[in-house]
Amino acid sequence: MTEIKHKTFLFDATRCIDCRACMVACSVENKIPMNKTRIWVAGIGLKGEYPNLERASMVYHCMHCNEPDCLSACPVGAYSKRLDGPVVYNPKKCIGCRYCMNACPFGVPHFDWDKGLIEGAFIDKCTMCPQRIDIGLEPACVATCPTEALKFGERDDLLKYAHDRLAAQPARYVNHVYGETENGGTSYFILSHVPFNELGLPELSSRPVKDVSEEVMGFTIPFALGWGAVLTGLAAGVHLYNQKKEADARKLETSESQAEEKK
Amino acid sequence: MTNTLSRRDFLKVSGATIGAAVLGQFIPPWVAEAARANGMLDATNSGYIPSMCEMCVWRCGLLAKVEEGRVVKLEGNPDHPHSNGKLCPRGQSGLMNTYDPDRVLTPLIRVGKRGEGLFRKASWEAALDLVAQNMLDIKQKYGPEAMIFSTTHCLSQSQFESLLNGFGSPNYGTQRSLCFNAMIVSNLTTYGMEEPDRRYDDLKYIILTGRNLMEAISTSETSALSQAIDRGVKVVTLDPRFTKTAAKSAEWLAIRPGTDLAFHLALINVIITEYLYNRQFVSDYTSGFDRLASNITQYTPEWAASITEIPADTIRRIAREFAVAAPYALAHNGWRTSNFVNSFQTERAIGILNALAGNWGVAMFPASGEESGVLGTPPQPPYPRVSAQRLDGVPWKYPFVPLKIGVFQELREAAISGTPYQAHGWFISRQNPAMSLPDRGRTLEAFSKMDFIATIDILMNDTAWFSDVVLPEASYLERYDPLNIVGDKAFIRQPVIEPQGEGRSALWIYKELGTRLGLSDFFQYADEEDYLKQQLAPLGVSLDQVRQTGYVELPSEIGEFSEPNWNTPSGKIELYSTTLDQGGFAAVPQWEEPPAPQPGQFYLLTGKVAQSTQFGTQNNQLLHKYSDEPRLWMNVTTAKNLGLANNDLVEVASTAGKIHIKLEATQAIRPDCVYLTPGYGHLSKGLTVAYGVGASDSDLHVTYTDPISGGQALSQTFVTVKKI
Repeated sequence: MTEIKHKTFLFDATRCIDCRACMVACSVENKIPMNKTRIWVAGIGLKGEYPNLERASMVYHCMHCNEPDCLSACPVGAYSKRLDGPVVYNPKKCIGCRYCMNACPFGVPHFDWDKGLIEGAFIDKCTMCPQRIDIGLEPACVATCPTEALKFGERDDLLKYAHDRLAAQPARYVNHVYGETENGGTSYFILSHVPFNELGLPELSSRPVKDVSEEVMGFTIPFALGWGAVLTGLAAGVHLYNQKKEADARKLETSESQAEEKK
Repeated sequence: MTNTLSRRDFLKVSGATIGAAVLGQFIPPWVAEAARANGMLDATNSGYIPSMCEMCVWRCGLLAKVEEGRVVKLEGNPDHPHSNGKLCPRGQSGLMNTYDPDRVLTPLIRVGKRGEGLFRKASWEAALDLVAQNMLDIKQKYGPEAMIFSTTHCLSQSQFESLLNGFGSPNYGTQRSLCFNAMIVSNLTTYGMEEPDRRYDDLKYIILTGRNLMEAISTSETSALSQAIDRGVKVVTLDPRFTKTAAKSAEWLAIRPGTDLAFHLALINVIITEYLYNRQFVSDYTSGFDRLASNITQYTPEWAASITEIPADTIRRIAREFAVAAPYALAHNGWRTSNFVNSFQTERAIGILNALAGNWGVAMFPASGEESGVLGTPPQPPYPRVSAQRLDGVPWKYPFVPLKIGVFQELREAAISGTPYQAHGWFISRQNPAMSLPDRGRTLEAFSKMDFIATIDILMNDTAWFSDVVLPEASYLERYDPLNIVGDKAFIRQPVIEPQGEGRSALWIYKELGTRLGLSDFFQYADEEDYLKQQLAPLGVSLDQVRQTGYVELPSEIGEFSEPNWNTPSGKIELYSTTLDQGGFAAVPQWEEPPAPQPGQFYLLTGKVAQSTQFGTQNNQLLHKYSDEPRLWMNVTTAKNLGLANNDLVEVASTAGKIHIKLEATQAIRPDCVYLTPGYGHLSKGLTVAYGVGASDSDLHVTYTDPISGGQALSQTFVTVKKI
């Protein structure tokens, strides 16, 4: 079996200067309308009180989960996880139910109301620039980052790189690579000098939300069938009872009329 | 005012740009044709073309991705040392300057009153004839000195200067005195060079005095600083604001504005009195150490503590840390150093500190410079002799200021006062004095004294709005400029798409105007390509080759640091400057107390953000999309004490004027300061995105000129703030 190269982003919050070159590059590369964006600056920004201050912000976009909840929630299979990393979306299949928006623990997919009403349902989110990575380029946001706060590469390599950094500079970072295990692992790793919730990231277990939901949802059919059987039985019973009652009533009617006739 | 554009706006934009593309069909597609011949574009006119950014003056190399004759994406050119494959947000947004629906696409001649914004379209022929005729009339009536010429640092500056010098006017306005005069004049006095090169590779310690590299981005230098911090280099940032640079620094010192000089004098005091300086370097390369040493004893850390509001122990510790790290230590000399009337001596102290550390050849290097004799130039006769005095007082009032830099705000003052004589015309290229000069009311008054104003720009900027003729330049993605030397290469800016509308290169406009002014001898090139071919002639490289690679390698003259050539009177680094002494100024840096705000007043600070450059990018829709709304920063506690809250509309007033703006109550600024991002509050309604957004600090800035460097003291304006 050939080894699959699994691409991943690495974001180092200690190096981000919130210049927004990534946001502009993404907007131009992906022809995003002027009133839309696929990247946000998240996080608390300024922290502390004058003069003891700190800044914390992050480049927030699709985490490209290894086990994507959007994919799991989509009833029509509009989402797919490419073997090389990106979670991609096919607008042609989308019916606009927006289950993916509710399912994503990172709040990433956005429904485009402008397009949705005219051109059909459309969900927008980061695609990892397949048009670039397929020809060996980095995604637009990574390629232009002036301080190399964003990196891109093979998941294994970046994971090792991230752990090497944590080991080499323990005072600089929170001792964790966010995305290594969160939600079953993502294709976006984050290193930070502040707690991850201050970057706007949710606390998630290593068990993907979709597993939990799938486990629960797994009971749906047996439950539906069982309950159906109960209801069917009940209905059948009621039906039989009614039939019997009707028959008895008819019998009674018949005997009464016969009695009258006899008179 | 909303910061996002509606969908309707976006559709309008798309419509306008499509319209422009269709219009482009009528012009012979020579750009695409040449690019196809060079193999840069394929049969569908798609591919990558190397060129050079012009969203600021750093000039990163870029690769323009072109699809069917339209620029669709810009990438940093990995071959260019200023970009190393990266572009900042402004560089990434550059194509939106070119496709701005507000572009001026034909020459315009004013038909309404000045400032009314009523113009009629004109042919180049008619517009250039009108400009030339007005300039010649002024020359005949009042002499050539009655014409002011002003432009900003750009690649066609030398051709602009051919117009100025050929015409015979001494009155040249650059933006330098609003930016880095203090740094340049100080370096000339101390080292005999304008600005040494800096390298971060081997550094261990950096002191940044107001050089906000993480927001005032110079891509390669910002990247180098980021890498240095990543390696564990200690960065100490002096700034009254908690900038994004301060946030990345190991130590932020919220120094009292105007006291950087006291801080550096105290560092020098510790380094000299504790014998921490590089004795070998000082004895080999400097002069005047003894006079410096005897004068510096008064400036102890304890003395500086009360002035700077930084504890004496901190100052002493930083001095020792800096000395221990030396020569792998850099006191950054800043860039926009136009802050206070003592900014020149602040820069002197920084220069001297670097000399005492002996960090030359490690952190600092003699400037490689942009000018080089290796490129050819078209032949030209000598310029006519100019005998008239300069209006800006250089050198008769400001003997230390280089002629090519000047004192712009004093030029404006003379245009109002009419002394020593009255100016009557103003020819402006890619510059916006209506936004950049302090005290905007006075700049508009100066405009009103002019019989004639002509402006060249790609947009209807605020100065163009008050002009009689507006000439449309081709954008930097649509034109050639002269080659730019960086290190051992000369880089090209070349058109990657056809010019839109009637846009023309500065090389073409200056030549056409020069010819009409009878100055054709100073413009001996047939067209832009001919100019470049003449530049390349001595190198034996064809223009086609340079167009493909984006650069040409130059015969290398730049070696490793050996014996530097200090171009000063003593031939050494002048710790004591005899020139300053002769001029009647302090020959070793001495403390000068700058004015401070009265109770109830605040220092008005200026600065930079990563999403705009000076006054020319606020109309760019992509940058507008990702910019913060410009608000007046005020310390949270101060705001609370004044009964002000976030987003309150406030009136900010100085002796020069007043503005209305929203308040941003923040922890990130000293309680005695307020801050406003410059470049907003445009006057031109021809800038449909930027008009009506924010307010301009040029309405507030009071004009103060540093008598030595001619720099405008931009932070020496004090304001009151009240709720409206």
